Amino acid sequence: MTVATRALELPHTHVAAEATGLWSWVTTVDHKRIGILYGVTAFGFFLLGGIEALIIRLQLARPGNTLVGADTFNALFTMHGTTMVFLAIMPFGSAFFNYLVPLMIGARDVAFPRLNALSYWIFLIGGLFLNASLLIGAPPDTGWFGYANLTTRPFSPGLNVDFWLLSLQILGASSIIAAINFIVTIVNMRPPGMTLMRMPVFVWMTLVVQFLVILAFPAVTVGLIFLMFDRFFGTHFYDVAAGADLHLWQHLFWIFGHPEVYILILPAFGIVSEVLPVFARKPLFGAPVVIYSGVLIGFFGFGVWSHHMFATGMGPVADSAFAIMTMLISIPTGVKIFNWLATLWGGSIRGTTALHFAVGLIATFTIGGLSGIMHSSPPVDLQQTDTYFVVAHLHYVLIGGSLFGLLAGAHYWWPKITGRLLDERLGRLTFWLVFVGFNVAFFPQHYLGAMGMPRRIYTYPASTGWGPWNLLSTVGAFGIGLGILLFIVDAARSLRSGPRAPADPWDGRTLEWRTSSPPPPHDFDTIPPVYGRDTFWREKHGDAQGRKPAPLPPAPDPHGIHLPAPSHWPIVVAVGAGLAAVGALTHLALVLLGALVLLYGAFRFAFEHRRDPAHADQTGTTGIDHRKMAIWAFLGSECMLFGTLIATYLAYKGRSVTGPHPHEILNLPLTTLSTFDLLMSSLLMVLALAAVQRGDRGQARLWLLGTAVFGLIFLGFQAYEFTHFVHEGLTLQQNLFGSTFFVLTGFHGGHVALGVLWLLTLWVLDVRGKLSTLDAMKVEIAGLYWHFVDVVWIVIFTLVYLVP
Amino acid sequence: MGTSGRARRLSRLGLAGATSLLAGCGWNGPQTSLVPVSDFAREILHVYAIITWAAIVIAAVVVAVLGWVLLRFRARPDAALPRQIRGHALLEIGWTIAPALVLLVIAVPTIHVVFRTQGAPPAGALEVIVRGKQWWWEFSYPAYQITTANELHLPVGRPAVLRLEGDDVIHSFWVPQLGGKRDVIPGRHNQLSFTPDTPGTYLGQCAEFCGTSHANMLVRLIVEPTDTFERWMASERAPAAQPQSGPAADGAALFAASACVGCHTVRGVSSGVIGPDLTHFGGRATLAAGMLPSTVDNVTAWILDPPRIKPGVKMPALGLSEAQARSIAAYLLSLK
Amino acid sequence: MSDPSTVPTRPAPPDAPVAGEHASVAVYVKVAVILTLITAMEFSAIYIRQLTPILIPLLLVMSAAKFALVVLFFMHLRYDSRALSFIFAGSLTIATAIALALLALTGQLLHFQR
Repeated sequence: MTVATRALELPHTHVAAEATGLWSWVTTVDHKRIGILYGVTAFGFFLLGGIEALIIRLQLARPGNTLVGADTFNALFTMHGTTMVFLAIMPFGSAFFNYLVPLMIGARDVAFPRLNALSYWIFLIGGLFLNASLLIGAPPDTGWFGYANLTTRPFSPGLNVDFWLLSLQILGASSIIAAINFIVTIVNMRPPGMTLMRMPVFVWMTLVVQFLVILAFPAVTVGLIFLMFDRFFGTHFYDVAAGADLHLWQHLFWIFGHPEVYILILPAFGIVSEVLPVFARKPLFGAPVVIYSGVLIGFFGFGVWSHHMFATGMGPVADSAFAIMTMLISIPTGVKIFNWLATLWGGSIRGTTALHFAVGLIATFTIGGLSGIMHSSPPVDLQQTDTYFVVAHLHYVLIGGSLFGLLAGAHYWWPKITGRLLDERLGRLTFWLVFVGFNVAFFPQHYLGAMGMPRRIYTYPASTGWGPWNLLSTVGAFGIGLGILLFIVDAARSLRSGPRAPADPWDGRTLEWRTSSPPPPHDFDTIPPVYGRDTFWREKHGDAQGRKPAPLPPAPDPHGIHLPAPSHWPIVVAVGAGLAAVGALTHLALVLLGALVLLYGAFRFAFEHRRDPAHADQTGTTGIDHRKMAIWAFLGSECMLFGTLIATYLAYKGRSVTGPHPHEILNLPLTTLSTFDLLMSSLLMVLALAAVQRGDRGQARLWLLGTAVFGLIFLGFQAYEFTHFVHEGLTLQQNLFGSTFFVLTGFHGGHVALGVLWLLTLWVLDVRGKLSTLDAMKVEIAGLYWHFVDVVWIVIFTLVYLVP
Repeated sequence: MGTSGRARRLSRLGLAGATSLLAGCGWNGPQTSLVPVSDFAREILHVYAIITWAAIVIAAVVVAVLGWVLLRFRARPDAALPRQIRGHALLEIGWTIAPALVLLVIAVPTIHVVFRTQGAPPAGALEVIVRGKQWWWEFSYPAYQITTANELHLPVGRPAVLRLEGDDVIHSFWVPQLGGKRDVIPGRHNQLSFTPDTPGTYLGQCAEFCGTSHANMLVRLIVEPTDTFERWMASERAPAAQPQSGPAADGAALFAASACVGCHTVRGVSSGVIGPDLTHFGGRATLAAGMLPSTVDNVTAWILDPPRIKPGVKMPALGLSEAQARSIAAYLLSLK
Repeated sequence: MSDPSTVPTRPAPPDAPVAGEHASVAVYVKVAVILTLITAMEFSAIYIRQLTPILIPLLLVMSAAKFALVVLFFMHLRYDSRALSFIFAGSLTIATAIALALLALTGQLLHFQR
């Protein structure tokens, strides 16, 4: 027995048994439990989305079929797509991020455990809200991509689209919060010795995905806000008669939508990069290159979105630019595949179920990637987009890519998470059922697309000749279903009576195998040392020269480890959000109630550990406070939010069909004064921070209040301006200028208002003597938010008011 | 047909062969995108063939290597640890450059075709205004001042430019054999320009989800010799037929007295613009945007209860009796 | 009660060189004065007819200067860890590039530059 594994055999007798029972799960902040919650919930939604798919396939199995009607079918494919993307694949990824990332970097939890729980509960609320639409017979039915103007009230008068846009915004909030959490965790909680390049590739892919999330979601959030305002408040963002450009929705959606597909695939790539080396008993070939290519894919993923719009008439220059960018992205993707092949080459390959799925991914993702390259050529894409050819492509990359990767991960990490082994024979049968079923279901769809079958049609005549291939595809789909059923059987048997799993059943390479299966609540008795990439492997087998590291000192008493305390405030905040969403569809009073519950929950959340000295200093291994890093990540996200809001304002400038127009109504002198006021408020803010850091309570109180007051003055200016505009005939509904101006400056004003609330809270704390030098970081964070709001106004002032 | 034509024919054969290989079936269905009948479609297929062959070769190589590796390097019992190779710089460079070169081969013809197929249409091109509506197509020919619906006629060998205009939501005009699709976007002015080169009747349908009956928005594009086209145009320009006796005459009277006139135009009788122009409805092979052949039974059924045939359709059931509907059908079918 | 950061405690490295660890109040006031001056210049520039041909680039440069001053000094990025600059600058770059692309794609970039 090696030194490393001996450490794992120490009994954890000193650790209190982990709490069980429903309430302990409702209030859990343990990353492992949250991971399980995500995984189980995602699987439930996955089954729902799968049933929706099977009904779709049954309807299409024969020409002229009448199993479901047109509207039902349209709702089915909308719900199937939305569910699989947002409620299944993404949260599956989150399940793995949650469970594995802290273990893989030798941390005991994430940077913000309660925020982690909040992300999960908001996700659950969002998923339930979306599916509640089924219960009242108004499921979304305009596609998972919801193109305007079909989604505007004149063409979709029911509640369907409202359910869709509200739940997407809720889900987006969940994702962004989680992303900030994981960015801080990965960057700031690595143990000594684990440089970024020594992190497992799965952790790297997770990090890239989180950056994609914080930068991509704001774009669709803005697009959805515009749709929401059009539907609820009569604005004209997607109103052609008022001068709107329907490309706007598509741009905003795909600026999110394309990075989203990398959000969906990179975790699977990360999993494959972990699974292949373990079961080939060789390191990942070219690990740094695999990492860099993941980063490149993420970065370039922001530059290709309009390849979803080749048929929309953007013109040859735009078409060519996006075609080239899209082709370029296939290079780092191909590089990964070659590195995986080289990992297997010369290895000693054990055909476990996890390996089967990982290898299956290589084969099917290659096909999906190649059909993607076909789409990258606009002329060819004009025959393929919006047909079953692209349906084939997207399922090859999302099932053959994402799902296979996730199933590989599920089989690989099952022993670690559950402490039991799955049945390898059942697992291999599952794989073959899913693999064959999948190819039978989707390969013929390439042909169907080439034969002219468009997407999103509920039926087709027999004369098209599409019937037999659709029938074949349906058979394959049921094959997939059978495979998944088998997986459920395997999982159930394992949980009930499967053989117990040792800490390291696969002779793994990464740190999660260095603790028991399942890990104790505190993850590790001692934080493991890091000697390089594949650090655990080196401990067991030695490095290239066969040297093994020195033995570890005995583990300290785990009783000394403090774990994050459970909390019920995350679920309260999530419930508040859910209430507000329900209120948006029913009664304003419920919106207010939901907002109040949310705010109350948020305040209690924020103050819960106010008196805990351990919370005062949250410095991470980079020397940066967790909260400071988090706020900067959040501000990065806000750059995208305001960037797209401002770009929309400018894109729509001069397109209003009726007046008033900007030059007729904007008051430059007054706005210059309010700009000056906001700039000075930033000065007061830094003075306040300096005072708190010095311990000068009197000055702190003065400057904090001063900043808040200056903020209120700015809001006063804005209120005056808005009222004056309305009197002059410029309302939110009047024209395109009214829509873009009020939404842009209104959202900015909303940010100011929240900032004022934040500052006044700090001021009240100070007045009651509860703000000391130890709390300086809290003031610094508030200051960063405040200055950012100021900086956004600098941009708005110039581009909206000054530029003619 | 010169060398470029031969190359095109070869590439078309190559693409068809490739697809057949994969599909085990023919490449020639009613809405196939692999049998071109216009310059636009041929340009596309040229690039399509290059990319398809490249994709097939790459896929075959990767899958073959994968299969071989899995067999050759299976774990053997009591095997020693394999050599822990971490990477190889030259290989990395090699398999970065190789895909880049393949992409170059794809990119160059792509960009050429993008620009060649999106240029200004030649002078003297036949202009057709295509209006996509939920869930039918209106076609008008400004030069001839006629408007029709769902069936589009073009003369072979003459450049055509379709100006795509939207009245309600986004649609997409797609007749695969004539070329790629182009979206119909309200507020924007997209266009498709091509020269059809083979007479025939070609089918297509809307390719952008546009609501309940998106699946029921079919197009028939008839390419015909110039004299046939001129004859068709002459009959389209002629005034509407006025049946003197029989059920058709009864139908005519009923039509003129019913709500029909509020939505439909029959030149000389009514001028509604919400539904398709019916002046020469009898000359069309299908109704309800290609859903059914235009027989007296089908037209009668449609008039009696349109939403039963086309879910969500804006035309309501007018509460007519079977006999009344049948006579209007007879009238409409007489409007040749 | 809880300590999510379980790294063996060692003194946190200082965020910035001790000398400029926090910009002094004097520096802050100076920055505030410059911000005021630039704002005044921006406002006046609108009314100076001779500046019209270069007005838009001029305004963009001036507002960029204000932006930079607030971020570097008030938000302390000049004195803080490079990791934070990376996070913010990376996001800002992507956001700006996408905003510009959006303007170009909607044909407004030319309009804007007129």
